[in-house]
Amino acid sequence: MRRPDPKTVRWGILVALLVLWELIPMTGLLPELFLPRLSKTLAVLWIDLGKYWAALLVTLYEVVLAMVIACGFGIVAGATIGGIAVLRDLLLPVFSSLYAVPIVILYPIFTAWFGIGSESKIMFAGIYGFFPVMLSTAAGIRTIDPQFLLAARSMGATIYQQITKVIIPASLPTVFSGLRLGGALAIIGVVVAEMLTASAGIGYLVTLNRTILDSPRVFAGILCILVLSVAYDILARRLERRMVVWQSAGRQQQVQSSQRPVNRGAPAPAAA
Amino acid sequence: MQYVADMRAAQASGAAIEIDRVSHVYAGPDGGVPALSNVSMKVGAGRFVVIVGPSGCGKTSLLMMMAGLRDHTEGRIDIHGAPIPKPDPERVGVIFQEASLFPWLTTLDNIEFPLSLRGMSRDERRRRSEPMLSLVGLAGFGERYPHELSGGMKQRVSIARGLVQDPPVLLMDEPFAALDEQTRMTMGHELLRIWSTTNKTVVFITHSLTEAVYLADEVYVMSPRPGRMIDHIAIDLPRPRTYEMMATDTFGRLRDRIWQQIRKSH
Repeated sequence: MRRPDPKTVRWGILVALLVLWELIPMTGLLPELFLPRLSKTLAVLWIDLGKYWAALLVTLYEVVLAMVIACGFGIVAGATIGGIAVLRDLLLPVFSSLYAVPIVILYPIFTAWFGIGSESKIMFAGIYGFFPVMLSTAAGIRTIDPQFLLAARSMGATIYQQITKVIIPASLPTVFSGLRLGGALAIIGVVVAEMLTASAGIGYLVTLNRTILDSPRVFAGILCILVLSVAYDILARRLERRMVVWQSAGRQQQVQSSQRPVNRGAPAPAAA
Repeated sequence: MQYVADMRAAQASGAAIEIDRVSHVYAGPDGGVPALSNVSMKVGAGRFVVIVGPSGCGKTSLLMMMAGLRDHTEGRIDIHGAPIPKPDPERVGVIFQEASLFPWLTTLDNIEFPLSLRGMSRDERRRRSEPMLSLVGLAGFGERYPHELSGGMKQRVSIARGLVQDPPVLLMDEPFAALDEQTRMTMGHELLRIWSTTNKTVVFITHSLTEAVYLADEVYVMSPRPGRMIDHIAIDLPRPRTYEMMATDTFGRLRDRIWQQIRKSH
């Protein structure tokens, strides 16, 4: 028997989960307060579409600005710290340790400084996403093969040309994986902040409806964030693949070459 | 003016590279580590010179100094009659080990990299890089990325990149060290073919005694650190070289002489 395509399997699992979401509360296996039916969740989402749409726009706005802060400052700080040996030795351990601190503990301070509006969420999520971007940018620059720079120098590259033509393209793959992670953390940061103290956004709606035990509306909010996060990840992956063709191509080739003997061998047992 | 006069003098004497009593000490906590000691050599224009020596004898350092990539403490290095305080791709091309092709550029873009640094237009770059691609036997592979090429092909690209600015001197730092022996033999032979059509001066570093004798007009043997020149051997095998020559007595004697020198120096 041929192994099914992983893509088909993934869609199969998704459909199965959605069906279970409908069936488990319907059969009474779990009370509807804990898990409202999928159909009911979608129904309240449809009824309150305007409200959820407005909340989603607020969340999206905060997420985008937080990502800009995380990526912008992260790349600049990472490039500076990764590129300058003195700063690297001095600051990199500090930032690595700070990354381990649950920054959410600082959120009350953010609300005190920036109020309970969007600004506090943007700043908080921006800092939350800043660390992985900064650390991977620094790593990307630090791990460049010194042979590349030596070769460029032998061909007469100036410092500026070494940066634009060697350091930046060579560190792109590492920087991009940091950006993807940083963006995901920015989404988490915004939603967490909205759930703690807020007056708008999907996170706020979820908390609000939880306190009045309106489960379908809680799950409607969860569904919104789920879709937003998955959409972001697909988009980021696609962008990454396009920007670093050579790297993903290299990876693909490795996978293909390691798979080749398996694929060739596959028809044989089937024939026997 | 002085430069031009020096150029003429150098051309008259036929020396492409002149190294005069060069010493180098790496700065360290207690006075430093001597790397090279009183090294002199003279390479005639159009000659193929091979430097062999044990690991860590400073032969790569010496090559980097000839390329203007590293300073030396004492002595003088002239390339075509003028010192080389910083890399000058129009005088000296350098070919490294496999790792130095840029994986994000296609074969043609890699070959054109030195030209793009000088702001040459795309058309002009293509006009110069495509003949290089054919010269190294890779016509039709211009749009491939390095990861799509074999080790030998990558090294052909490196050679094309070293030649694209048409420098009179080509420095090669163990360019075939990462290749398997069969590919290595083929590449050595290919290099001689390319060299014979371009009349470059080549300084080639290797660990392989067979490669040294097969390729060289002259072989310099270096001692362990601090590196000194301990022998200078003329390889008087006729050109073009053929694989059959490796089986001859002369070839064996020359290789043995180099080996004895290296062994004695330990």
